[in-house]
Amino acid sequence: MTDKMKSVKKIQRRQSFANSIGALFFSLLLGMVFIYAMGYSPIESYKAIFGISLGTVKGFALSMSQATPLMFTGMAFALAYRVKMINTGAEGQLYIGALSAALVGVYVTSLPGFVHVPLALAAAFIAGGLVAGAVALAKAYTGANEIILTLMLNSVIIFFTSYLVNGPLKPEGSGVGQTEKIAETAKLTRLIPQTQLTTAIILAIVVALLAEFLINRTVFGYEVKVTGHNFTAAKVAGINVSRISILTFALSGAIAGLGGAAMVLGVNYRFVDGFSSGYGFAGISIAALAAYSPIAVIPSAMLIGILRAGTITLSRTTSIPVELVDLIQVLVIIFVAAPTMIKPIYKMRDRIIERFKTRGKTHGGEEI
Amino acid sequence: MIITTELILSILASTLRRAVPLLLASLGGTFSMRAGVIDLGLEGMMLAGAFFGVLGASITGSAWMGLLIGIIFGIIFSLVHGVLHVKYKVNGSISGMVVNLLAAAVTPLVLTGYFGTTGKSPMVESFTNPKWEWLDNIPFIGPVLGGQNILFYLSIVLVIVSWIFLYKSKFGLRMRMVGENPEAASAVGLNVRAYKYFGVLISGAYAGLAGVYLSLGQMNLFVEEMTAGRGYIAVVINAFGRFNPIGSFLGSLFFGFFDAVQTVFQSFLPSQLVMMTPYVITIIVIIFGLKGGKAPAGTGKHIEN
Repeated sequence: MTDKMKSVKKIQRRQSFANSIGALFFSLLLGMVFIYAMGYSPIESYKAIFGISLGTVKGFALSMSQATPLMFTGMAFALAYRVKMINTGAEGQLYIGALSAALVGVYVTSLPGFVHVPLALAAAFIAGGLVAGAVALAKAYTGANEIILTLMLNSVIIFFTSYLVNGPLKPEGSGVGQTEKIAETAKLTRLIPQTQLTTAIILAIVVALLAEFLINRTVFGYEVKVTGHNFTAAKVAGINVSRISILTFALSGAIAGLGGAAMVLGVNYRFVDGFSSGYGFAGISIAALAAYSPIAVIPSAMLIGILRAGTITLSRTTSIPVELVDLIQVLVIIFVAAPTMIKPIYKMRDRIIERFKTRGKTHGGEEI
Repeated sequence: MIITTELILSILASTLRRAVPLLLASLGGTFSMRAGVIDLGLEGMMLAGAFFGVLGASITGSAWMGLLIGIIFGIIFSLVHGVLHVKYKVNGSISGMVVNLLAAAVTPLVLTGYFGTTGKSPMVESFTNPKWEWLDNIPFIGPVLGGQNILFYLSIVLVIVSWIFLYKSKFGLRMRMVGENPEAASAVGLNVRAYKYFGVLISGAYAGLAGVYLSLGQMNLFVEEMTAGRGYIAVVINAFGRFNPIGSFLGSLFFGFFDAVQTVFQSFLPSQLVMMTPYVITIIVIIFGLKGGKAPAGTGKHIEN
């Protein structure tokens, strides 16, 4: 890579970083308007939210455990978007992954932990991948819109899993829809005792690193980038664009499936009917905040996790609803997608580029 | 199970009732798509219409005022889609999804903030079925049409009005031109952006009305996520009906029918499996039913400034 290309890349990275920070800042600011309208002090509320999530070990553990499934769904959306496909199906893939992991966790027994856990994770990975792969296949062959298809599949999967855990899979005497408890050997290790923070977060980080490597250091990743950037050019260059799109989309679904497994093996220890509180859709916002880079999804998910954990705790004592976070998440998508909407972000971005340009010159770099 | 005339008539009546929200939303989608803007935000606009319709009816004490306010909020939410896509050139699928997520976040927030409840709103004034004795007395037709409320008749009128507008008026022709080829439309002096905004805002009005039908027509309160994917099904109906109001009408009847028969199966099948059917049908239609139909060629295209 030439120096010029490197500096272009650096500028782009700084640009999107400034965009994301600005978007998050303005979303939180607009969230304050809503808190005020609800009759609470915005500053006190934010103080409480961040105080809870960052002030105590328990709060921090809750934040990070909230962030864990979001890391997976965020990565899922980010990866699919690299081939300009929109994976709104993370919610369904999360459910199917969770169910597969729970089935392996409950019904495959007498295995040592170091085999049982990977087996359950693999089941979730494959299930999520198959569902998403089927969608991408349908798109490639019939031109079906993947957004509507995944959204419809979400409903089908959520209803079907609900049927299973309220019917054939329901343990005797259980009042709510859920499976049996998974075996001890299938449980993930807790990082902090008596919290929901488990080794799943380490898995998420490892997956992010692998995804980053795949995108930036392999031939497959190169073809993904070309396909996403210019579909026609990729075709002309001899890249099998449908194969690349299908594989990437399947991988995206597989990662979302892992998120479901993390919930089952680390938090609930069983599949619980309707367990996800919108983790799938939160992934869109997290991916946007991360500028669709798998590794940047990790800190983005942590930020949203901190916000969620604080708001969940706050909603128990006040009437500030958890949906406040949903609103902030949507605002983040809006401001990341249309950064010119907020002039200050635009100006800040320009200033950063300007500074970078002049610095580049003093070091004898080329003008770009 | 015994199939009686009564059962068939009640399924037909139910088919019409369930077709109305799908029809209204997909009519809205037609305007949006014909102006070249993808109609993925219908679900959110519908949800906004359903909620703010109830809010309006609660404040004013009148279902008609609720209807007006529901439509206005459908338009406001469509404006988010319009501004993001037309002005800021955000990918139309993303801006559509933004509208859906925005409505899913805002409606429970305002529900808690204003009504102080979660999950559903208190009951409000709603639309009642008109009592036309002459209609009820006609055999077969009476039991089917007699159970429909005033918004059903309104939606039939809107099918005809929309068709005339799109295919028989100069304005409609120009809007379709913008949807097919924005560059050419711009070259002959049409204000491409204005037509796109018009299409999107009309889709918001229709979707808002569809939402009002759900909350004030079929029920008398708002339930969280009450649209349950009907906005997405409407997107499919719109494509299934080849972006034509008449096609939307027939497509809505088709989907309304499957929605109506599923209630018959509820007595002997697990409810979750029954509730899955509309989505399964939609998936089948997406994969096998949309071949040969093409969206307006200029969908998602922008003109250079």
